[in-house]
Amino acid sequence: MDQMKAIYIQEANELLENLEVSLLSLEDNPSDKSNIEQVFRVMHTLKGNSSMFGLAVIAEFVHDLETIYDKIRQGEMTLSKEILNTTLASFDHLNKIIVDSELQDPDNKKNHAELIQRIHALIHVEGVVPTPTKVEEVAKSDVLTLDGKNRTIHISFEPDETFLLDGSNPLLLIIEITQFGKSIVVPHIKPVEDILTFDPTKCLTSWDIFLETDVPISQIQDVFVFAEMSASISVSEYPCVELISNETFNKKVSELVQSESLISVEMISQLVKELGIAIETSNTTEISESEKIEIHSFDEVKIDEVKPDVPVANSPLVKEKVVSSIRVSSDKLDELMNLVSELVTTQASLTLYNQKNETPELEIISENIEKLSRRLRDIAFGMTLVPINNMFGRFQRLVRDVSLALNKEVQFVTEGGETELDKSIIETLTDPLMHIIRNSLDHGLELPETREKLGKPRKGTVKLKAFYSGISVYIQIIDDGKGIDAEVIREKAISKGFMKPDDVLTDKEIFDFIFYPGFSTAAVVTDISGRGVGMDVVKRNITELKGAILVESKVNVGTTLTIKLPLSLSIIDGLLVDVANVNYIIPLSVVDKCYEVENRQMMNNFNELLVLDDKQVPFINIRKEFGYQPLSGSEKSQIIVVSDAERKVGISVDHIVGEYQAVVKPIGKYYKNQDFISGATILGDGSIALVMDSHKIIDLYTEHVKYDMKS
Amino acid sequence: MSNELNKDKVISIESESFLSFKLGEESFTIPVMKIMEILEVPKITRVPQAPNFLVGVINLRGAVLPVIDTRIKFGMSAIDFTINTCILVVSVMSNDELIQVGALVDSVSEVFEFSTDKIKPAPTIATRYRADYIAGMIQEDDHFIMALDVDKVFSSNDLDSINTASNLNIKEHNGDE
Repeated sequence: MDQMKAIYIQEANELLENLEVSLLSLEDNPSDKSNIEQVFRVMHTLKGNSSMFGLAVIAEFVHDLETIYDKIRQGEMTLSKEILNTTLASFDHLNKIIVDSELQDPDNKKNHAELIQRIHALIHVEGVVPTPTKVEEVAKSDVLTLDGKNRTIHISFEPDETFLLDGSNPLLLIIEITQFGKSIVVPHIKPVEDILTFDPTKCLTSWDIFLETDVPISQIQDVFVFAEMSASISVSEYPCVELISNETFNKKVSELVQSESLISVEMISQLVKELGIAIETSNTTEISESEKIEIHSFDEVKIDEVKPDVPVANSPLVKEKVVSSIRVSSDKLDELMNLVSELVTTQASLTLYNQKNETPELEIISENIEKLSRRLRDIAFGMTLVPINNMFGRFQRLVRDVSLALNKEVQFVTEGGETELDKSIIETLTDPLMHIIRNSLDHGLELPETREKLGKPRKGTVKLKAFYSGISVYIQIIDDGKGIDAEVIREKAISKGFMKPDDVLTDKEIFDFIFYPGFSTAAVVTDISGRGVGMDVVKRNITELKGAILVESKVNVGTTLTIKLPLSLSIIDGLLVDVANVNYIIPLSVVDKCYEVENRQMMNNFNELLVLDDKQVPFINIRKEFGYQPLSGSEKSQIIVVSDAERKVGISVDHIVGEYQAVVKPIGKYYKNQDFISGATILGDGSIALVMDSHKIIDLYTEHVKYDMKS
Repeated sequence: MSNELNKDKVISIESESFLSFKLGEESFTIPVMKIMEILEVPKITRVPQAPNFLVGVINLRGAVLPVIDTRIKFGMSAIDFTINTCILVVSVMSNDELIQVGALVDSVSEVFEFSTDKIKPAPTIATRYRADYIAGMIQEDDHFIMALDVDKVFSSNDLDSINTASNLNIKEHNGDE
């Protein structure tokens, strides 16, 4: 059951994500019918899922929400800002209660009641009677018999024999129907022809349901919206008749049930006549066997009207989605990755053997295996990676809400959404990022008026940027707000006793204090941030992911927070190079271009710049940087130009050996301080090559240069 | 008779196998349980800018194994590679995590049984080596063998202090140029 619940929660989360996207685009374009349809559909599926798992509280809640969108969809209501805000609030609430379906958290309970009231108020404001749900039945039973306008509806529900095959449960549908009002449900069981050939997966039961209610017939049809593909359903209406309350009718029905005869529409009509109750002819004519077809055609027309780009009914679409993805346990994926890694290593040995032996036939085989293993690798890794865009989408909403609450005008820009990260990393990253963005909005960006005074555009910008470097992923949150004043942090740190007044610290070290537990510089603690409980947690979360976080800030210019995360990719395409007889791998993803220069050029170079392709490129002499003996002037070096964020830097190596698919392995804790080496890989001959993190090397070099200048 | 048997059992539980090895002229020992295997020295890939006792990394059947020069750890000169030099693959508890590390030693001597209750406490003074590296002294005939606390000797924890020093060296070195 727990596993089932996990599946439910996962699906619900996916649905809610879809819902949010649709809601936000609905906000930008309120008249977009396809979005309203989408919202309605997602809610409907969520409601269905919830009741399927017996989570009545959620199902009822969503049902109420759905009612609003049903009205909008049918043109009975117009989408107002109020409705959207309530829906978004409900959406947040749903996110919480899908894991707390019994409302055990008192906050959730309180929220739940409040939101239900808001939703009902909305339905009432628009002058529409809310559809009764279980909650209301308990709370305000007067709604049901509002003005005695109940009529009787007869539903004949005959599922096909295959109805049960896709996991549909007809009883749930019937329960949903019976919640609309007083009802009598009469089941009919087809006789089993032969016990030996009896197939228990076949549905042999059909039902007649009599319902006394005031809900519109369309709502009853909606209950069967996913069932009508594989069942014959006919709905007939007897206006102004409360048959179920009628004793004679009840008697007659039980007689019919006992005699085990099928209840036909004619019989009911007959009954009604016998009872001497007038029936409006307009409706009786419709009560015929052709009803089923009518419902179908009606539905299709409706959908065509609203969403012309989807020519068929909703259910097949939903089904397609289900089939196109399967869930695989991450253990299996890990195993697959390990096998692929081993394959790649073995293939490297094969290539090496072939290079030594030069057999043409073998060469072809070896090359083919290389191609195949490369593709296999890409597919295997692709399975665990998701584009970071999935997460960026969620922040749109956050920025909207927070900036509204703070009266700030914000432009939220995302860049590099296609950068892929391990799914588990993305999940752990959401909270810290949310916190950082919140901080940027609250403490970073100024109010529009202040910004204008400072000569900045009214609208502040918060930029979320992701990019690869080496075998790391960098995520930056950049704002153009007021920045962090190192002096303020310093004073605060002194007052909190984190540092002594006479300590000399660099700005970088001072900014690090914002990650100390209990550190907050905001004078006013707001709802949104400033309690100082956040940044230390952010840092901890990121450290747990083996990442690092760095703050750079300039007063009145803005703040940049950089998060560095290890790429889960353990196989990379790299360039195999040689420096002082040690093999190194430079990830191909950062390599821009390679050049050959004479060492003389590098040696007599005062400011460490080379002119390559008529451009000045700063370069790092790796031999010097790593403490090896410099090469003699007449020898040639290879310059590999790598891109590091926006800049291009040359790295000098002795030789370029070639392209190499490297299975990156950790080099262990002992080398944690040599973090410019991000791992090691085993070459075809069994020796080890070290994987360079060009970003770190450039950082290291820049630090040295700074040190040189100071001393 | 039965009493004697019991006595034997008790002894066998409390005695342990040790592997002794030499660094220079000095004998050291590590419980055999801690040693996964003994390797001949393969090609070692040096990691640039690492503290000097970190000799580099080797390929241990597809895994990357860091190798430590035990001599430098004990304040001796760097190891001289001879035919007797070998690597002990030791499993070490470091920060609640079991990690493997290769320890370069001059030569491996023997494996012997020794009852743990006969191990003498390490002398607190008059030792050339860091006291917390030594778990105790084992007397064999007329000479002593130092039993090492491998978790302490090969811990990655004291890297921080060492490395700041080595970083400084680099900076000074660069500053000189």
